[in-house]
Amino acid sequence: MPPGSLALLAQGAVVSLLLAAAAIVGGTLLAVLLATIAFSRFAAVRAVYRVYVYVVRGTPLLVLALLLFYAMPALDLRTGPYIAGTLVLIVYTGALFAEVFRGGVLAIPRPQWESARSLGLPPLAMFRKIVAPLVTRYTLPPYVNVCVMSVKASSVLSIISVWELTLAAREIIERTFAVFTILGLAAAFYFVMCFGIDRLGRLLERHLALKGFAGERA
Amino acid sequence: MNFARWVAIYGPTYLTGLGWTAVTAVGAACGALIWGCALLLIRLSAGRWGARGVDAYVQLFRNTPVLLPIYLIYFAFPMIGLPWPAVVCGGLALILQNGAYISEILRGSVNAIDRVQFDAARSIGLAPWSTFRKVVLPQVLVYSIPALGNQTVLLLKDTSLLSAISITELTMQAKLLTEQTGAAYEAFIVVALLYLLLVSGTEVLFRVTHRAVRWR
Amino acid sequence: MIAVRGLQKSFGTARVLRGIDLDIADGEVVALIGRSGCGKTTLLRCINSLEEYDTGEIRLDGEELWYRTTPDSARRRVSEGEARRMRQQMGIVFQQYNLFPHMSVLDNVLLGPRFAQRVSVAEAEALGRRLLARVGLEAKMSAYPAQLSGGQQQRVAIARALAMRPKVLLLDEITSALDPELVGEVEDVIRSLLSDRIMMVLVTHALGFAREVAHRIAYLADGAITELGSPPDILDRPKDPRLKEFLRRGR
Repeated sequence: MPPGSLALLAQGAVVSLLLAAAAIVGGTLLAVLLATIAFSRFAAVRAVYRVYVYVVRGTPLLVLALLLFYAMPALDLRTGPYIAGTLVLIVYTGALFAEVFRGGVLAIPRPQWESARSLGLPPLAMFRKIVAPLVTRYTLPPYVNVCVMSVKASSVLSIISVWELTLAAREIIERTFAVFTILGLAAAFYFVMCFGIDRLGRLLERHLALKGFAGERA
Repeated sequence: MNFARWVAIYGPTYLTGLGWTAVTAVGAACGALIWGCALLLIRLSAGRWGARGVDAYVQLFRNTPVLLPIYLIYFAFPMIGLPWPAVVCGGLALILQNGAYISEILRGSVNAIDRVQFDAARSIGLAPWSTFRKVVLPQVLVYSIPALGNQTVLLLKDTSLLSAISITELTMQAKLLTEQTGAAYEAFIVVALLYLLLVSGTEVLFRVTHRAVRWR
Repeated sequence: MIAVRGLQKSFGTARVLRGIDLDIADGEVVALIGRSGCGKTTLLRCINSLEEYDTGEIRLDGEELWYRTTPDSARRRVSEGEARRMRQQMGIVFQQYNLFPHMSVLDNVLLGPRFAQRVSVAEAEALGRRLLARVGLEAKMSAYPAQLSGGQQQRVAIARALAMRPKVLLLDEITSALDPELVGEVEDVIRSLLSDRIMMVLVTHALGFAREVAHRIAYLADGAITELGSPPDILDRPKDPRLKEFLRRGR
């Protein structure tokens, strides 16, 4: 194995993880906003949500990234690919998380809503004590899934010159031709990250379930 | 420049891209379906080690981004004496990746379908291969159509990554156009619209098929 | 007391309630019976505005609920804050899925007093324990709903409804989803509430129980109260032919 590659790949992995983390945090915040829009009283506002999700889910991530990267002058090569890349990831994961949250809200049985309303709870208490905890528990598995997808999605950014694990690997290969070793290592890094997130998610699920919450997952 | 003119001038370029996208998508989808069924068969019939092997395979492809197998096959095959064209390399990578997901979809369907059916088939003496072909597979496939539709859409979007190995599908064409003309905005918006069209078309196709087949 | 006048409601083109008039005196228990789809559950849900009704009015102790008639005779819905205040005067128990699964039994009961009525923690907890003891479940205070039987969950739901100190308790087929052997414990709790002289409206299929606890029974058919009277009058001496058929069929 070419000297120094392991260190380079490790650094790349850290960058990938940071990109994913930014996507997860930003995406979750965006998704809370989007999910609120999705349940608006006004049909026009709900339509905005549907169009947003339709476009983001129907276009390849790479195309979204290139669109933002090349076509948005404010975010061109001068600003640096990292900002554009992170923004694209947030836009992307935001849509995915929003659909997850929306599904979670819809999964809450109607009598639970009605019980909360019948108690006359003010909206903030309703959200804090009822909606948020229930939605969290219903959506944990798909949420963790999107987190894993964020890590894998970060590799697409390599094509717009964002230096992360995949680009690091590609650069090393183009220099040294040690294809199997380098890609194998890169795969190992990704595997550890993705699998790790998945396991963490399962642990969290079990922790929440231990408190007697039967859970409504099949 | 306005969109109508743009489309009129560069229509053929987009059509080439569209053609490559469609060909790779359809080819990879079919290949992935076959490979997914093969993986399912291995899981069902090769005992514990078969199941474990398939599990490991699935886990590997689930936890790594699809660009890695694409690069691997594209860079490595010429080195090991298989100088196949980029399209084949890319398509193979897509097949290996999506086959993993498809086998999981099919596995879920197998678990969902009544055990009784399998026992009934075995008890009338059907050999395992026949059982698989005539009883298990048709039902599993029909049941899986919605999930397979989803996966096909993902595959379709993944074809855009083949631009990384210089295959001239839609995304690549957009990049080339941008470098040629500097009109990035138009180039990519049209491509995005085309993808939306393809995705919607695929979804409609699967929905229609699902409805048609369910009424048998 | 509750006064319902001229309540009408349609779901699209289907008229579900056609002009309901009903008075409930303080401390009275009224049972609503009838075939599925007759409107009894809709009526119950209109009372605490889980369903909105098209015309008519509902008054609780003289105050008109849910809507106000503006000076120009238009009908406006009250504000959300007002609606919440009105809802707090009523307690409702559903057929199932009442309790919030992510909270302990005690927290479920405390939720209303603490966050809707701003009762202090200490006071709310004392209230909660008292009510849980009342329904016989003080020992399960720290348990989670998933660990309780259906009957126990319904009893906690009743305690939770009572924690708001409501003027009226609305009960929507609260024993219909229970295994037969669990029904008794829930019915016992309702019986014990009779001495509180709290208004109750119960939608039920359990005619024997209705006979026992209700002061009056209303039989609904096609969205109207076709017969209203004391349990003996309704159950032993039915006049309306549809009611006779309903009783004969046992459902």
